[in-house]
Amino acid sequence: MLQVREASVVFPASDGSDVQALDRVSLDLHKDSIVVAVGASGCGKSTLLNAVAGFLPLTEGSITLDGERIEGPGGDRGVVFQKDTLLPWASVLDNVALGLRYQGVAKRERHQQARELLGLVGLSEFGDKPPYELSGGMRQRVGIARALATDPKMLLMDEPFGALDSLTRETMQQLLARIWARTGKQVLFITHSIEEALLLGTMIVVMSPRPGRIVARFDADFVRDFANSGEIGPIVSQPRFVALREEIRALIHNPPVSKHGALQ
Amino acid sequence: MTVTADLPLDLAPAVRRRAGARPAKPLREKGTALIGFATFAALVGFWFAASHFQWASPLFLPSPAEVATQLRIVAEDGYAGGTLVTHLGSSLWRIGMALALAIVIGVPLGLAMGMNRWVRGVFSVPIDLYWGLPPLAYLPLLIIWLGIDETSKVLLLTLATFAPVCFSAQAGVRSVPAERMNAARSLGAGRLQLFSTIILPSALPEILTGLRIAIGAGLATLVAAELIAARSGVGYMIMSAANFLATDIVFVGLIVIAALAFSLSTGMRWLERRLVPWKGKI
Repeated sequence: MLQVREASVVFPASDGSDVQALDRVSLDLHKDSIVVAVGASGCGKSTLLNAVAGFLPLTEGSITLDGERIEGPGGDRGVVFQKDTLLPWASVLDNVALGLRYQGVAKRERHQQARELLGLVGLSEFGDKPPYELSGGMRQRVGIARALATDPKMLLMDEPFGALDSLTRETMQQLLARIWARTGKQVLFITHSIEEALLLGTMIVVMSPRPGRIVARFDADFVRDFANSGEIGPIVSQPRFVALREEIRALIHNPPVSKHGALQ
Repeated sequence: MTVTADLPLDLAPAVRRRAGARPAKPLREKGTALIGFATFAALVGFWFAASHFQWASPLFLPSPAEVATQLRIVAEDGYAGGTLVTHLGSSLWRIGMALALAIVIGVPLGLAMGMNRWVRGVFSVPIDLYWGLPPLAYLPLLIIWLGIDETSKVLLLTLATFAPVCFSAQAGVRSVPAERMNAARSLGAGRLQLFSTIILPSALPEILTGLRIAIGAGLATLVAAELIAARSGVGYMIMSAANFLATDIVFVGLIVIAALAFSLSTGMRWLERRLVPWKGKI
């Protein structure tokens, strides 16, 4: 279980003042859950993910994973980035196997495991290709397979489908829902799309900027239907889905005034 | 074609294609080898014409035939104390030694400068300072210190080629995308693994670019150094010939250097295609 306790991150801004990127955020992620943080630019959702990934130190507060304090990046948290971070000199298969290579797994075995993961994301045919011969959506699939290869306790996904066209994006959402239903990995997912948040999240965390904080939490379970049926249309037209979507939209556009007194 | 003017912009190419025009190939596919060869042929043709019609005195501009004869004579019987192969050999040995030293010292030092603030702080000022000097300005000093033999020339060339190699390795490290480093660290990479699997390969394209610049700087310095203080080498051969107004031999030397520069840069391009085929792709 991931526990974020009163986590704050303060950056020095270029004019010398301090920017409160994250203001006393607390959050629990249980097994089998997809927590989606949604909000406008600058609301601290990416800061939250970077802190959980260990790329960014907290100014105050703590983050623990199964009781262990997070001090830096590690193989127990697989990260999928918005930007393509595959290694262009390595084949798709070697990219997927990279984390296993860091663990010292022998070549034959890590390739074997990488091949299975490529099958899971539907890219069995592409193991020998260099990543730059793949489309953007395919590269993100490789990124997901790579993050899963070390069998991490959780997946951290930072707007992973944000740069994809809308059709590819829907395919990728289906893929993630299916992988989640199959592996039961806990996921922290960052997006600026309210629809994507509702479609994928078992909990939706609405964040608001200046200072970056959580203004509301919603439980949802559309993702289970979605993982089974793979169809977006019937889900997004449900009255419950529409009502939640509009409620979240209103919260993002008119966030409640911070209880610490900062004006919006 | 006037019809297409009224269509929405994105439809116009499709219509033009249907009208029978060949679709344009992307620029890269066409290549410039043929154009380059034609230009080369035109230049040689101009040389033939200039010497045939005596646009310049043969003393200043020897004919291609004359230069070809001299090339054979120099290759077989030698000139200024050695055959062409001997001269070319000593030039190549000097630049080869210098490049090897520059790579062996410059690449690790540049990588260290890219990764460590202290190494960068200590070394960038001295390298910046001497790199600004024209090599020929400190050659006399090197000769006074080390004598006129090979050591001073190899050191001169090493200094001339070292800085671009070192700086490019440093720039290569600095250009590694932060996300790529973060991705590797979140996959559990240790410090050594980060270096060998991420930093070094990411820096390789920049290092090869630096090596190309170093070869250029090395060739320029090499010939200049041999003009001043040498008893062998292509530069020395040119200088000796110039003292006797033997312009045909000077031409032979220039052609040899041009051929050398051309094959080195072709070799580097081949090496880049082999080692970093992904360059510019991601």
